Formats: sequence, C-alpha cells, structure tokens
Amino acid sequence: MRLSIAREKLQEGLSAVASAVPGKTTLPVLGNLLLETTERGLKLSATDLDVAVSTEVAADVETAGALTLPARKITEIARELPAPSVKISSSDQRAVIECGRSKFKLLGMAKDEFPAFPAVAYDRNLRVKSGDLQRLISHTVFAVSTEESRPILNGVLWEIHPSQLLMVATNGHRLARMQVGGQYGSDDVSVIIPPRALEQVRRLFPADEELEIGMSENHISFRSPLTTVISRVIEGPYPNYEQVIPLDNDKTAVIDRAALTSALRRMAIVASDQTHRVRLSFNAALVKFSVQTPDVGEAQDELPVHFSGDPLEIGFNGNYLLEILRYMPTDDVRLTLKGPERAATISPEGWDGGADYLCLLMPLRLVD
Amino acid sequence: MQTGGHQATRRILLVDADAFFVAVARLEDPGGAGKADLLIVGGAPGSRGVVCSASYAARAHGVRSAMSIAQALRLCPKAMCVPVPRGSCGRKSREIARVLGRFAPLVETASIDEWYLDMTGTETLYRGEPLDATAHRIRDGVQRETGLAVSIGGGTNRLIAKLAVEHAKPKPGTGANGVRIVAAGEEVAFMSRVALAEIPGIGPRFHERLARLGFVHAADVMATTEAEIVRRFGEREGRWLHQRARGVASAEVRERDLQKSVSHEETFDRDIDVDDELERELLRLVTRVASDLRAKDLAAATVSIKLRDRDFRTRHASRTLDQPVIADRVILSTARALLRKLRAARRVPARLLGVTLSSLSRSDEPLQIQLFDPAARDGETTRDRTIAATLDRVRDRFGPQALVPGRLARTRAASTVEEAEAAPRQRVGSTNSRPAPRKR
Repeated sequence: MRLSIAREKLQEGLSAVASAVPGKTTLPVLGNLLLETTERGLKLSATDLDVAVSTEVAADVETAGALTLPARKITEIARELPAPSVKISSSDQRAVIECGRSKFKLLGMAKDEFPAFPAVAYDRNLRVKSGDLQRLISHTVFAVSTEESRPILNGVLWEIHPSQLLMVATNGHRLARMQVGGQYGSDDVSVIIPPRALEQVRRLFPADEELEIGMSENHISFRSPLTTVISRVIEGPYPNYEQVIPLDNDKTAVIDRAALTSALRRMAIVASDQTHRVRLSFNAALVKFSVQTPDVGEAQDELPVHFSGDPLEIGFNGNYLLEILRYMPTDDVRLTLKGPERAATISPEGWDGGADYLCLLMPLRLVD
Repeated sequence: MQTGGHQATRRILLVDADAFFVAVARLEDPGGAGKADLLIVGGAPGSRGVVCSASYAARAHGVRSAMSIAQALRLCPKAMCVPVPRGSCGRKSREIARVLGRFAPLVETASIDEWYLDMTGTETLYRGEPLDATAHRIRDGVQRETGLAVSIGGGTNRLIAKLAVEHAKPKPGTGANGVRIVAAGEEVAFMSRVALAEIPGIGPRFHERLARLGFVHAADVMATTEAEIVRRFGEREGRWLHQRARGVASAEVRERDLQKSVSHEETFDRDIDVDDELERELLRLVTRVASDLRAKDLAAATVSIKLRDRDFRTRHASRTLDQPVIADRVILSTARALLRKLRAARRVPARLLGVTLSSLSRSDEPLQIQLFDPAARDGETTRDRTIAATLDRVRDRFGPQALVPGRLARTRAASTVEEAEAAPRQRVGSTNSRPAPRKR
C-alpha cells in the first residue's frame, strides 16, 4: 500500500471511526483500525463486534493494499502531524507515515485478522433521511435502560412503516416515543438497536443525507455513499409499549417547562439519593412540590399551573422527570394524569415540529 | 475539608479496640482461650479458614490476619486456634458503642472494632478538661463495663486521630499508655514523624511508586512544593497527597444512617468442583443473607458473588437490578446467573463462595411502579415479597431452621456428619418446606 492524503482528510476519517474502537477487548485486533485503499481513496473501519463503522476519505492511491494499525497510536500521530500532506506506505504488517520531516514506523496486524463486516442486503429499497433519524434518536435514546437485568430494554425499538418512522426507548419506569411521517418503502419493519449504534448514526451522517437501510437476520446497516454503520440487533420481542400508553388520563396540567425544571432541581437537593422522590400536588391553579427525606430535611415549592380535573397527589422520581423535561422541545409542557399509581404522560404543548413526541413516567408509590 | 478558622477547633477521637477478636474469644472462654498466650482466631486447627486476628504473642511469630490457618500454625505450632465468636463480637461491639455514646454527642461506627467520636463543643460539658483526660476516662469506662481494652487517638481531624491511635497502643517497649492526642497546631510536627505508608489510602502500589521517587516519610512530601507534587502525581492524587502529608483531612463524623452491605461467605471443608453442589452452597448463603437483609429492614439493588478458586485466585461478579429487592427467589436467580458466569469463565475447584448485597435502601422506601408487569420478566413481585415476609415470620417463631428450601433440607437429612441436636429441626425443615410455594 502506498498513498498520499491530506492531513485533514486523514484526521476526518480517523475521528469518524475511532469512537467505534472498544476501550477494552480480549481480541487485540479490535484495538486496531482497518485501512484499505479503494478507488476513491482510503477506507477506514473499526468494530467492537457489536457495532462496526467504516468511512472513505479522498486520497491519491499509488499502490493498493490494506493493513490494520493500532487505533490510538495512528489517531495520536495524525493529530500531531506537522504538515498538510501525509504519505502512508506499508509492507508486511508495518506502516510508514511520513509528513514534512516527521517519520513514523508503526507496527500493525494483518488485514485478515480483522473481523469481516457482517453481510447485509439492501434489497428492501428502504431510504431514510438522516435528519429524521437524528431527531428520533436524540429524543428517545436517553430513556433506554442501562441495567443488565433485561437486555431487551438496553435497546431502542425502531419501527419503519410505509408512512411513518417510530422510535421507542424505555427502562421500564419511563418511556420516550417519537414518530415522524414520510414515505418509507412498502414493508413494516421492526428492529431493536443498541443505543451505541444509534449514537454513531446520529453523529456520523449530515442531516440532509439520505441513508440506505440494509438488513440481515441479525444486523442492520445505515449507509451513505461514503460511510456505513452496521450494528447487531437485539433479539426481541420488545414489550408491548402501546398497551401501557394511557388513553384515559383525565387530568391535564400545562406548565412552564423552565419553571418546572428549576423547581424540580431545587427539590432534588433535598430529595433522597436513592429514590429521588418528589411529591407533586395538583389543584386548579397551583402545583405544590414537597420533599421529605429522613436524615436530610424537607423542601417545599409551588408553581402556577393550568390544571383541569380533580386535585391529585402523586410522587415521581424527580430525576426521571427532569430528564424528560430536558428533551421537551417547547416552552410549555402538557402533563396528563389519572391516579397516584398510574402512568403520567408528558408531551410538548403547542408544538408544530412535524413529529409526534410523547414521554411516559410511572410514579413512585407514596407510602406515607 | 479542614474546618475554617472561624469555626470551633474540631476534637475528633478514634477509639480502636485492642486485638478485638482475640480479646472477645478470651472473654468467651476464660478457661481455654483466655489462658492461651499464643492464640489465633479464625478457625479450628485443620479447618481451611483464614486468620481473622492473632494475639500479640502469636503475631511475634509472624502470624498475620488473612493468612491461612494452616500456614499460621506452621509459623506458630503451639498456638491455640479458635473459630471467630461471631455473635459475641457483634454484641461486644455494640456494648462498646453504647459506652462511647455516653461520652460523645456523635459516634460513628467505622468497623466492628473502630469508632470515630466527635467531641467538638464538649469543652464546657467537661469543664475544660483536656481531651487527653477525657479520653482516659472513656478508656477506663469501656474497660470497666465491657472488659475490653481500647486505645484512643485524637486530633483535629479523622486522619490525625487515625494515625495517633497507632501511637497510642500500649505495645511492649513503646511506652504508650493507650491514649495519644495531637493538640491543635501540632499536626505538622506530628506528621513529620509519620511514614507515608501509615496514611490510609496509600496502598502498597502507591507506596512503591512514592518510594521510587524518594518519598518515604510525610516529611519528604512536606519538603516539596505543591506544584511539584501535582506535576509528579497529577492534579487529583497530587493535591490529595500534599494535603494528607500535612495532616489535612476531613473532620466529619457522622452516624451511619445505613449499612453499606450485607454479606456472608463460606470457606468449604474441601474444594467443590461440582456445579450442582456449588449452587446448593449458594442457596444456603442466599437464604442466610436475604434473611439478614430483611431483619435489618433493608432492600438491596446490587447482588455480588465472590468465588475463590483452589489456587487462591479470587473472582467477583455483580449485577445491579433496576429495583431494590428483598426476596430470596430474585436474589438467588441473580446470584446463580453470576456464579454460572464465573464458572464458565474458569472452571477449577472452588474453596470459597460469598454473597454480598449492596446498594442498600430502607425496605419501606417508596417503590417505583413498573410500566410492564414485573412478573413477566423475573423481577420481584408482590408475591415474592409476601413469601419472604411469611418465611421470616415462621423463622422468627420456630427458629432459623424451621423453614428452609427443600434442597437444603434434603442435604441435611442425607448428611451423616450433622450434629445430633440439629436432627429434630431438620425434620421440621424437610416436611414444612416441601409445600413451600417457591417454584412456579
């Protein structure tokens, strides 16, 4: 392999794939990046066996070839290179990187050691606008579970229907769902994707790019002309989220999001480190907040609210509520409630963002 | 952080019971252990336990805690070996804490044989008596009421108190009298005689790194500028070291509101290699630890297991659940999955198994209601909690062996080495446990 490449292009390619390199691995070659020449230039790939990322950057290729190099070393070298033009050559498993008067020899591993990317088919003719996908990802992924006890909830459900895209994440206590309309092939598809893969998708593709979606039994792929993200999918079934979305919540509160956030943050100071419980008491014009934590103390606060329905007292994990509020795109939010042990919904009030966004939060049982 | 100048000078004491386990074992058995000069507490001779504590005379032979009993006996063959008098240790520890509570407004139990006392603001109460004199009265009080000797270190913060207590212990030849108080303002002078290895938080690895760079005594660090220390050890570690070497540390003493963990472990009489047998031991441990958890009105979100292989390699695995739990069934299924994971990774005979429950909360804390039915995914259900509560009620009334999992009851019945007096209880166990609704 022999090629010359602009330093910026090399850095661009490396920063795209380097975050897919696992921090710790029992398979040494996964700590390396695969560098391959292509017709268009240089292709860089990384994988942790669950998620694989590859991208192509422009380069002048003199001799074709491929090898793997330690991801961290090559990234650090690229960052420190002194001149705009870089030459990379390799023989056996050794690469020589030359730039200005600097020269590095880096020991790599053979290309064949690097795991092959799983094969996926693009035969469903599924195309999705990256911007739509980014919006779904950034509003739902936060709700995913990080506990190992229920692997299915460690993934995000993505449903593709002919006229809409939908994404759902939940940890069993709170749930976020967003859907956007559009034209998306002719099939109904449903996959559960690890959040790490979606994070790569959100990060790597410009919003206006159209992505091709490829599938196999165990994998899903997001592909633009230059960049591909392939991820293992989590085997289902996903819990029936539709069933838990309440349709008969008969109490509604519309509250200023910033004011609600501030009040909850104040309550959080005194709330229990374990349960983060905040008690909310709604009546026609006010929502009162209160926290009592043994060994710490108490706090109260109140906010004006537009509330319809019978007065209600309900306890929530304040951190869950705060997190949901952070992703609400409007100044006011709408809460709907039914009873102290029933799911509450939170949605943006008066939003014309062209998407349907809903979060669900289960209360904490008030024992006293 | 150290208190500012505008606040009252802190008066912190650390009370440390001298050779606690040895002393309790001697109180327990005045005719036997009480008379043995060379005494090792940890397990009977021939048992495979480790040394929990040893008398000063036995320590002179090189016996150290955490050493295997067999090795300890090779070093000190004449020593008498007794098991840890667990129940008595807990009881004696609480007795000491009660005495301390009469002297100090704030007592923090740091371990079974160590207590921090915050005596700040008691000057008037003790009519201006020097802290040293109060400490001696505390020491005499504990000795009189519990029969146990304690040493007391004191100073303006926890670190000074902790280091001072080592200089207080009345070991032969040191001239120490059981109390050592470092007066306010004397911290730097005191620290200049302290070796870095004595400072809590400086472990063998860090100590080695320090020594390589020529830092052996706190004085070596004091002679170096903070900027230089930070340059060598990094922002966090460097600042920490700079402060500790000058005796700057937290003075906060707080009564532990909650225990940190509940655990049990067992060194087997012989190494176990059969998975089924190990899982039975796991069941035994879980039954015990879950019952202890509930007796303390606690719930745990993290289940950990510890497995020591034949070659003394110790491995750990843990899992945090999305809800604190109390029921045997959920704890067992989590622990079993962890054990299987560890066994799959390395399958060699095991000599020790332990179960720890942590991330504790009060079991009456408000419960997060689930979106999806917990029963559908092996989480803890109301039924699990009810069964656990029922088990506890039966055991409270008829003893801990009255109701045990069928698997444990069967092994007991089959066992020939079981103590004779356990036999009637066994029978109750096996008949009662059969219809126990544990399996679905």
